[in-house]
Amino acid sequence: MATREIISTGNELAAIAAVDAGCMFFGGYPLTPSSEVMHVVSDLLPAVGGVAIQMEDEIGGICAVIGAAMVGQRALTATSGPGMSLKAEQLGLAQMAEVPLVCVNVMRGGPSTGLPTRVSQGDILQSKNPSHGDYKSITFAAGSLAECYTEVVRAFNTADRFMQPVIVLLDETIGHMHGKAVLPTIEEVKAGIVPRKVFEGPAEEYFPYQCEHDEPAVLNPMYTGYRYHFTGLHHDKNGFPTEEIETCRKLIQRLEDKVALHEDEVESYEEFMMDDAEIMIVAYGAVSLAAKEAIRHLRADGIKAGLFRPITIWPSPAKKIKEHTDKIEKVVVVELNIGQYHSEIQRAAARLDIDGLFKVNGRPLSPHEIVSKVKEL
Amino acid sequence: MSDTKTLMRFTGVGGQGVLLAGEIFAAAKIKSGGYGLKTATYTSQVRGGPTVVDIQLDDEEIYYPYANEGEIGFMLSVAEMSYKLFKDGVQPGGTIVVDPNLVHPTDEDRKKWKIYEIPIITIAKEEVGNVITQSVVALAIANTMMHAINKQTLIDTMLSKVPAKVHDVNKVAYELGEKYAKEAMA
Repeated sequence: MATREIISTGNELAAIAAVDAGCMFFGGYPLTPSSEVMHVVSDLLPAVGGVAIQMEDEIGGICAVIGAAMVGQRALTATSGPGMSLKAEQLGLAQMAEVPLVCVNVMRGGPSTGLPTRVSQGDILQSKNPSHGDYKSITFAAGSLAECYTEVVRAFNTADRFMQPVIVLLDETIGHMHGKAVLPTIEEVKAGIVPRKVFEGPAEEYFPYQCEHDEPAVLNPMYTGYRYHFTGLHHDKNGFPTEEIETCRKLIQRLEDKVALHEDEVESYEEFMMDDAEIMIVAYGAVSLAAKEAIRHLRADGIKAGLFRPITIWPSPAKKIKEHTDKIEKVVVVELNIGQYHSEIQRAAARLDIDGLFKVNGRPLSPHEIVSKVKEL
Repeated sequence: MSDTKTLMRFTGVGGQGVLLAGEIFAAAKIKSGGYGLKTATYTSQVRGGPTVVDIQLDDEEIYYPYANEGEIGFMLSVAEMSYKLFKDGVQPGGTIVVDPNLVHPTDEDRKKWKIYEIPIITIAKEEVGNVITQSVVALAIANTMMHAINKQTLIDTMLSKVPAKVHDVNKVAYELGEKYAKEAMA
């Protein structure tokens, strides 16, 4: 695989990735610590004929993105926790109407305005269910500078495949750290783009929401002669509101099953020194960097620790987690919240004795803290 | 910590330009074939709030992006509040450079660390003639004392990150920083 090197920050790499992946529209509102994503796409998009708009707030940002996606463009918004809270309603609309878009969330301390410039991983559960109602979220978490790029590219392809929002979680540390990223070439990224499906038959035979029980809607770009109704209400094959019992049941079940029955297509994780591990650390995002450093120290002391790092956070790689937790007794989840993913690991493992190391003061977890915790187990 | 690792910390208040020096160091190390990472921590009060930049340079891959407290070999500070907040990250016997007009180390500090006083802001303002060059003066001092990066590689990287119209003034800033660092250590 041909590669190239870029020296940059996670936020900047996320912005570059969007443009390389064919994104032509950004709508958003600057919010620390995500603002650089918007700064950079604002420079890059006009140069390729795209558009970046600073809207009146975060809600306007995602509304504009939904509009851009409805006319067939790949579209991006970026924000942090408070902005995710504001975008929640529209993320629900995009799930219900099956509009593909990418939302980058650079996590900071919460709840509410929280700790604007400090690192956190407090939005893990929010990203699973940002709004009310049933659907199956897809969320990725970047664990390196390179992944700030590759996961955004994957998010655009995944959004078009499943016709729904895909959230990419960065955190303040990954978003702002500055160093070298080894990336795939632009040619390779372009070659990997799979455009969303389009119905090419006669317009009178076009029913966007009439699809197999486990497949997404086929939304042709608006203003191309294929008419349909767009709503957040339960809807029929044309998109018109309905309360017909079976149609409503099938619709919501399909929103679940289009992802649930194809989880293998989105599953992604890293196993670091897991081959002979007697202790499993579970960490994602920036904390996984501290965990890798901790494992170096632990191994030097003769302690066989390994890291399991989910990259696709939702749906979680539950089967793989269980495979490990069935064999490894000592498991510790390390995260910058009070156990949001810990509960998912307990569920996947079907074990209540999973240990945890949590921190919520806006400061990073250090390798030394992880080493001490593992030695206590 | 690996033997090949250099850990440096620049502290000041937001708006002073300490971030740029960190980026230049990291990029220069990467260009030299190694690994470099810069992480900055700042407060909501972006201008005037305490800012710290950690720089890690290594021949091996770096995972954890922050400098471990107590392992830092070199710190430079141009603001009293940041100095007090972040000095304890420096290992005993480590080097600290302060601007004596802005930072006042205690006698106890002087026993614990090698403290050098260099009027960085005054040098930039009066001798170079442009206060913005203080980050390059600081860069030169850090590199002269730590022998972290080949001088020409560092200068070339620095010049690639500042506008062409200020290349000459930044070259002067680098040479002055180096001169003052050598005098301080003599």
